[in-house]
Amino acid sequence: MSTLSTTAEQVSAQDQRSVLEPDLSAIARPPQVLNNRGPHWVTDAVCSIVEGKTPLWWYVGITISGTFAAIGGACILYMIVTGVGVWGSNSPCFWAWDITNFIFWVSMAHAGSLISAMLFLTRQKWSISISRSAEAMTVFAIMCAGVYPAIHIGRVWFVWFLFPVPNNYGMWPNFSSPLLWDVFAVTSYLTVSSLFWFAGMIPDLAVLRDRATTKIRKFAYGIVSLGWLGTARQWRHFEMMYVLLAGITSVLVVTVTTIVASDCATSVVPGWHATIFPFYFMVGAVYSGSASVLTLLIPLRLAYPQLKDLITPSHLDKVAKLLLLTGSCVGYVYVFELFTAWYSANPFERGAFWERFTGGYSWYAITCLSINLTIPQLFWFKKVRSCLPVAFVLAILCNVGMWFERFMIVTTSLIRDFIPSSWGNFHATPVDILTATGTVGIFFTLFLLFIRFVPIVNMSELKAALPGSQPHHGTTEGGDH
Amino acid sequence: MSHPLPLSTGHHLPVAGSRHEPLYAVGARFESADAILAAASHLKEEGFSCFESYTPYPVHGLAEAMRLPKSILSFLVLVGGISAVLIALSMELIPTMFLYPLVVDGKPTNLSALPQFLPITVALTLMISAVTAVFGMILLGGMPRLNNPIFAWDLFQRGASRSFFLSVEARDAKFSVASVTELLEGLGAGDITAIHLEASEETPKPDHEV
Repeated sequence: MSTLSTTAEQVSAQDQRSVLEPDLSAIARPPQVLNNRGPHWVTDAVCSIVEGKTPLWWYVGITISGTFAAIGGACILYMIVTGVGVWGSNSPCFWAWDITNFIFWVSMAHAGSLISAMLFLTRQKWSISISRSAEAMTVFAIMCAGVYPAIHIGRVWFVWFLFPVPNNYGMWPNFSSPLLWDVFAVTSYLTVSSLFWFAGMIPDLAVLRDRATTKIRKFAYGIVSLGWLGTARQWRHFEMMYVLLAGITSVLVVTVTTIVASDCATSVVPGWHATIFPFYFMVGAVYSGSASVLTLLIPLRLAYPQLKDLITPSHLDKVAKLLLLTGSCVGYVYVFELFTAWYSANPFERGAFWERFTGGYSWYAITCLSINLTIPQLFWFKKVRSCLPVAFVLAILCNVGMWFERFMIVTTSLIRDFIPSSWGNFHATPVDILTATGTVGIFFTLFLLFIRFVPIVNMSELKAALPGSQPHHGTTEGGDH
Repeated sequence: MSHPLPLSTGHHLPVAGSRHEPLYAVGARFESADAILAAASHLKEEGFSCFESYTPYPVHGLAEAMRLPKSILSFLVLVGGISAVLIALSMELIPTMFLYPLVVDGKPTNLSALPQFLPITVALTLMISAVTAVFGMILLGGMPRLNNPIFAWDLFQRGASRSFFLSVEARDAKFSVASVTELLEGLGAGDITAIHLEASEETPKPDHEV
């Protein structure tokens, strides 16, 4: 663990007035927790969300999201028993809302992993208070993404064909297909992020177990916390595991989007066949994920005022800057794609982009570009970043823009390829739309359950990073390592 | 039942658990990370080996003070990762090269096509390494263990998320209630308590408490 930054924080908190006053105030990091809150306050504030009375808005929220999720589930069932014809997907547009939504959700997941894993590895301690909720967002978004790959194949009962299962037909999947890579990438992404999320939560679940007042809670949290005691041995293995998992997850973030981008990039379809796609998907992923983090955290702070000292304006400001950075990269890729299409002198590539902006689906491309090229740029202004209602609305708009981008990439490339005789059209059906809103419902249902039943801030890591929580240096051997 | 632990009742400490059951450990509470670090160092220097510290968050230097070895988890994950590479490559290459050579887009089905097998190899390696890391942490940390003698100590249950606890187990060769109590008192510990095992369900409870 970083003792360097802890030292800096300790210095900034304690010695600021005495020794280093004029110099340090300019470069001091914003405090991890506002109002000089101590470790006990952190524990009480975070646990009070789980232990307190369920607020009314929670019931209202979960009723709405649960209804949408149930309608989505019914649509999936209807699709399975009837066939994929109930979707608008058709020749030549074999991929439409299914893969659009798959890419949309799996991309959104990435900001969570980036915040919890990459920022942990680079010792960005500020991310501790938001990492748990960002990770939860990751896990739930991958679950929503995971709805589609299985059902979009049409005959769901053959989904096991995707896995290398020895079978009577002597038949094996095609390991050189990016679509199969995708199966493994998404499976491992879901597994690893769920494990990272759960394992990091064990000490905090033990806190809830110790504080539980009813037998049912004690039993339930007792089971999931696996008998955690916080012994020095357990912490030693735990910290090692956390570093390892953060490293694994950081690599996974990059490989998963690369593989998902390969689904498109390795084909010859004009508009897909581009080497910039992995980078394109990666920056788009973190961009939409940062927007989702803002969308979730801003109302969460409002709903639970005690979180305002933990999830500070400085956190939201940093996430907004991440959104600005990745949003600008996305804008760069749009321009670069157009340049490549023109510079390649390939009539099909040029035609695909011309069609994208002038054809029957031009309003998708125009909406996508007008949002993603302009909205993130507003975050250059500190006033926009610090005005939370504005940031909230803009973040939602960014996600809308990203959905349009995914649709633009997937669908408008497919409906116009090389031969005019194979051109076609796509029209979304109500089943398409209700399945998509169903995944939104699943996402919010899971997130509401998360808020209610699990500590939404990583208490143990946060307490360890608070000023004065670690032994003073120089008093004992082994204090700094 | 045979008890390896002494049935020590000749002390005047507050008792957690059942007084009629064997003594498990002497527990103490500390108020700061500094205090528990100093106490752990001191106990180790005195030659104690069966003692344990419980902290609400990782206290830097505590494992070093207790002279705990480096976690072998990283080694386990390396082993898990290497086996994952082998598993993934054989899972892909054996069917492709021998069992079911599937020629799509004219892509070769032999080792010259190795790059196309790497994405799945990477994904599986990361997944199996992560599974090793999490289950390794759980097992190395002595979990899952849903009951523990120290849970008999009510103060520990209530205070584990706030205070720093230390327990010296009765099975330690240097253990004696009097000396450990004196030592812990000298280190500034509070709430020194004798933690007995809890009455097992088969043992009928005594009619009257002492």
